[in-house]
Amino acid sequence: MSKILNLSMTRRQFLGVSAAGASVFLLGMSLPFGRLGTDEGDEAVINAFIGIDENGLIIFQNPFIEMGQGTYTSIPAIAAEELDADLAMFKVVQAPPGPEYRIMFNNTTRFTGGSFSVRSSYMTMRKAGATARAMLISAAAEQWRIKPVECTTEPGAVVHKASGKTLSYGQLAPMAAKLEPPAEVPLKDSTSFRLIGKPVKRTDSLAKATGAAEFGIDVKVDGLLHAAVKQSPVFGGSVKSYDKSVALNMPGVVAVEEIPNGVAVIADNYWHAKTALQQMPVVFDEGPNSGFSSKVYLEKLQSALDQPGATAENVGDAVAVLSEAARKLEAQYHAPFLAHQTMEPMNCTALVTQDHCKVWAPNQGADFVANTAAEITGLKVDAIEVFTPFLGGGFGRRFIMDYVAQAVTLAKKHPGKAVKVIWSREEDTQHDHYRPMTAAKYRAGFDAQGNPIALHITTAGEGPMGRLNPEFLKDPKLDDSIFEGGAHQPYAIPNKRQDVNMIPVKPVPIGYWRSVGNSQNCFFKESFIDEMAHEVAADPVEFRRSLLADNPRFTKVLDTAVAMANWKPGPWDENGVKHAMGVALHESFGSIVAQVAEVAVDDGDIHVIRVWCAVDCGFAVNPAIVKMQMESGIAYGLSAAMGEEITLENGRVTQTNFDNYPILRPDQMPQVEVEIINSGEPLGGIGEPGTPPIAPAVCNALFVLSGQRVRSLPLSQYSF
Amino acid sequence: MTSLLINGKKHDIEAEDDMPLLWAIRDLVGYTGTKFGCGIGLCGACSIHLDGKIARSCITPVRAAKDKAITTIEGLTPKQGLHPVQQAWVEKEVSQCGYCQPGQIMAAAALLQENANPSEDEIRAKMVNYCRCGTYQQVFAAVKRAAEIQGGQS
Repeated sequence: MSKILNLSMTRRQFLGVSAAGASVFLLGMSLPFGRLGTDEGDEAVINAFIGIDENGLIIFQNPFIEMGQGTYTSIPAIAAEELDADLAMFKVVQAPPGPEYRIMFNNTTRFTGGSFSVRSSYMTMRKAGATARAMLISAAAEQWRIKPVECTTEPGAVVHKASGKTLSYGQLAPMAAKLEPPAEVPLKDSTSFRLIGKPVKRTDSLAKATGAAEFGIDVKVDGLLHAAVKQSPVFGGSVKSYDKSVALNMPGVVAVEEIPNGVAVIADNYWHAKTALQQMPVVFDEGPNSGFSSKVYLEKLQSALDQPGATAENVGDAVAVLSEAARKLEAQYHAPFLAHQTMEPMNCTALVTQDHCKVWAPNQGADFVANTAAEITGLKVDAIEVFTPFLGGGFGRRFIMDYVAQAVTLAKKHPGKAVKVIWSREEDTQHDHYRPMTAAKYRAGFDAQGNPIALHITTAGEGPMGRLNPEFLKDPKLDDSIFEGGAHQPYAIPNKRQDVNMIPVKPVPIGYWRSVGNSQNCFFKESFIDEMAHEVAADPVEFRRSLLADNPRFTKVLDTAVAMANWKPGPWDENGVKHAMGVALHESFGSIVAQVAEVAVDDGDIHVIRVWCAVDCGFAVNPAIVKMQMESGIAYGLSAAMGEEITLENGRVTQTNFDNYPILRPDQMPQVEVEIINSGEPLGGIGEPGTPPIAPAVCNALFVLSGQRVRSLPLSQYSF
Repeated sequence: MTSLLINGKKHDIEAEDDMPLLWAIRDLVGYTGTKFGCGIGLCGACSIHLDGKIARSCITPVRAAKDKAITTIEGLTPKQGLHPVQQAWVEKEVSQCGYCQPGQIMAAAALLQENANPSEDEIRAKMVNYCRCGTYQQVFAAVKRAAEIQGGQS
């Protein structure tokens, strides 16, 4: 792809979002960041983030999508810090697909997930802001015929203090845009930060409080057609027969079309499409998977826990030490399939013409959308325009392009007409790409004094990484997304071994679910550490602390949460209701999180009353958003722990909607307190690390309360 | 032809009597602030006001709304400025993904219409819409704040 083409495409995107008639001037179109650390020859990787129109509006092309996690605030704030501008001057838009926005992993890719947005772009965004500021200063200096060093800035303007002259960024932008971007720019000293490290207000609050915020499902296009889809209930099945005439005779129906694994009815509005689809008889060929049962798969996983597998961690000789240990403990755990259940169901709008394709899609990677559309239409990627509105939740679901493929397939059959596909909640629940079911066996050995001397973990399952992105695996036999969060944890046990058995779960679609493998492995590991503490009659906090003696960073996170909670190791009574605390500590996505949960059981009902959460993410770029993400992660993990479970019988998902797949209700939300530790360690992620510890923290409290050990989720299958 | 009174304006639309109000409002009239979440009246993303009372538009047929005043999030927003509930929502930065928030705001506005100064227990009992991002603590705090703002105005 040539530089010129990228430039024109980006320019078009910039022009599209500025006020009518205002000219936009792009700054730093060919920043050479991409050449750093790479040897791809002379082609400059373009980082085109900042445009300024003549009114001083700063148009910020965000490579990361906003799905609630705050990227439309934290990412532009980093650039604004160095640019010296207030976020109020910013209009944040989603960058189009293309190489100039692939700023992750040494400028090779772009997606929103893995809790990567801030930590992967922090320096890029600072340099982008600083470069633009230097160009604006140069433009002012040229106009005033002085040296750039004589100039300074205040938010939105270049100032010459000696003469009192001021020129706004809007006034300077036309000239600045013609200048060559400087190769090197000084960055601010962190002590002078106005925005980074501060609880900067979210940029999307107003639009989201008035209904003006546009989500994918809200996209309006002239002559829009609406489609409802029915996919084969059995994974891997296909359409055998259907009676088109039934649907075609119903009000508003335009067409009935096949999609790869099902049928779609296209109509003048969604209700007409959905009603006709419901009335139309469709027979599916169930294919080879109609015997699949999650119960049988679980048995397969459990029987694999005694088989030798690939070894992910091997320190000392855990097997030999265990066999001779004075005292032994063994426990087996499992966790169910889970659905993402974004509040906004899967949807996508596409418009295909002979030489062009537009796609409006909530997505976690614009390039994935473009590639999917290019493949289906046969057009070049350059001919695909992708528009990414706000996402009504993502949680890892919107990496998978199945809904995009459907919209583009249907739009291709109706050239010149925009088609919007919306999944019903039932389709969304039954055709997710699920957090995989996983089982694990934990074995610990203690010496005669009760000190842990060996830990041997065997984990069985299939991971989304190996299924969807095998190119990311360092060793094809070791899929981190099966066992991550079990192995390589900081507890100082001299002999440690982690074995992994990959048990394929095809035909079930699996995917990345908020915190991925950590979501189940932290539950196993932190439950077992608790079991180990109780085995040797140690306080669970003291026991963890004793194994973290050489790790002050983890110790501080644990101690902070414990101090916030005013930790009580035993149960207590409040008005005849039993309360207890449980603790869990976990590192994921580069951040360390400890949570203490206070749980009460009242007449058999579990109430999670309070959660104290300490997080060390290195440095909180926006502490307000970090706190919100901890709360959000806790709600998501607690929701799963309390009642979420996807089961499969006869090759199909049993659950359909929120009535039989219950998500956390408002009255189940605990009071959450968050404390941030700015340790100065490298930046960690924040969207996911809040999720893993809550399930074991709650289950460990339930053990103190009831003596009943929870070794599988959800809690709704237990009686307390 | 069906006539609906939405946000103070009469709209003549081609809608069957059994069409859920949600789709009439979104696809036929074009107000998209009201969201589709579950289609079975559970999650509350589709919450609107019918004659000032909270209703779930995904399970309310058009026929049940013909002689009523329908208010959506767009109609709650005054010509100038914001409704006290919206002010509180912005001030408390409630929204994360934001998808459920129009429904939450409609529920809060209806609650405050019924009781200008609800207790903590009443807020928790009446604010029952789902939020997958887990903004519930902020929702409760913002309802309290909205009551204060509204109290200060009256």
